Amino acid sequence: MNIEVALRELLHPIVRWARRKSPWVLHYNSGGCNGCDIEILDTLTPRYDVERLGILKEASPRHADILLCTGPVTRQSRDRLRLIYDQMPEPKWVAAVGSCCCSGGVFQGAYNVLGGVDHVVPVDMYIPGCPCRPEAIIDGLARLLELIQ
Amino acid sequence: MLFKLLIFPGFLFLLLCAFVFDWVDRRMLARFQGRVGPPWYQPVADFIKLPTKEDTLPQGVNATVAAALPMLALAAVLTASVYVPVAGVVSASFEGDLIVVLFLLSLPALTYFLAGWISVGVYSILGGHRSLLQYFSYEVPFLMAVAGPAVLSGSWSIASIVAYQAQTTWGAVMQPLGFVLAVVGLIGKLKRDPLDIPKAKSEVVSGSLTEFSGRKLALWRLSMNMQTVVGIFLLVNLFFGESRFFDVLPAFPVFGLKALSILLLLATASAIYARLRIDQLADLGWRILAPLALLQILANVGIGG
Repeated sequence: MNIEVALRELLHPIVRWARRKSPWVLHYNSGGCNGCDIEILDTLTPRYDVERLGILKEASPRHADILLCTGPVTRQSRDRLRLIYDQMPEPKWVAAVGSCCCSGGVFQGAYNVLGGVDHVVPVDMYIPGCPCRPEAIIDGLARLLELIQ
Repeated sequence: MLFKLLIFPGFLFLLLCAFVFDWVDRRMLARFQGRVGPPWYQPVADFIKLPTKEDTLPQGVNATVAAALPMLALAAVLTASVYVPVAGVVSASFEGDLIVVLFLLSLPALTYFLAGWISVGVYSILGGHRSLLQYFSYEVPFLMAVAGPAVLSGSWSIASIVAYQAQTTWGAVMQPLGFVLAVVGLIGKLKRDPLDIPKAKSEVVSGSLTEFSGRKLALWRLSMNMQTVVGIFLLVNLFFGESRFFDVLPAFPVFGLKALSILLLLATASAIYARLRIDQLADLGWRILAPLALLQILANVGIGG
């Protein structure tokens, strides 16, 4: 038993390094205006080249490490967001991209909107902006990676 | 023998090659697109990260089969690698080993289909079906293109085909058409970019592998990367065997250079061609590639006698 604990201690820095160097992201729009989605697409284009940081956009929740959310959570997309979050394997992180996703933004108080994405899933990094620049998204992701233990 | 199986040209060497080829491939694609690309340790970081993640499976999936399939794919590729020489060094060889290698290299396609079939999910099943359809389109031209060198040299052993090329010249020079067909077939076999129909991200999420995560996904990726390495090594042996032209240079770096050149071909193809539809691939495979491959074999019979 002690050997297992010691081995885990020994491997921990390597695992942490690998997790910081290989974050695969999944993108989900829970009801936004598409502005932040275009900025996320910008971030993934050759001009910004996030593959330098090891960031790959995955299509399946089962392959992803970080959920990139955009837009406020509408009542209709609440259950889908929860389902996608639950499908992702542990350990997982959530980054809220854009003002609406952080707090509900201009849609706050609307009859069909719950508010920010933190009403449904735990958020690890808030990236405000309307829409936020690709530089801001990259900076937010880089800071999120520093938090990974 | 154990050294050959485990270290060179066996498991450890192939693992190293899988990581190096994966990195070189992604880096070349990045350069084609005018970006920098991932750092050199990227495949290693990916490979370490995946097994440390949670191993999820949807309800209703047989856990034993799901765990066995990626291992089976990896085992088939590793067994095939035993008979593929690397710079003239080979673990085992007999008359007819080319057929065994081709059979073992087509097993991963079957496991890939089964992985989609057992996963309870629309995208997985669709991806699995597409992979089978693709298999029937590329495999026949690929087999005939690879049979070309065997017909030419009059032997079904990879070592004798290499030796035949040492006496004459490169297989790719004598049968350029066959080489092109073999490269197209290899792209289909590896499900690489112009022919990545079974795992097209914008259509079927990740195909058969949609529901796989954690260490199973790591094994799938490793078996794919190793299949790339073994497939490229096979083509180097069949079409760029040792030639008198390179006798002055040591065999190993020359072999590596040839393998990387074929990888460059594959990366170029994925950079410049858009994905085909499945019906276009079936058309291409049966109307164009298969008759051309037959033509090449007939020509080889004429030359080789």
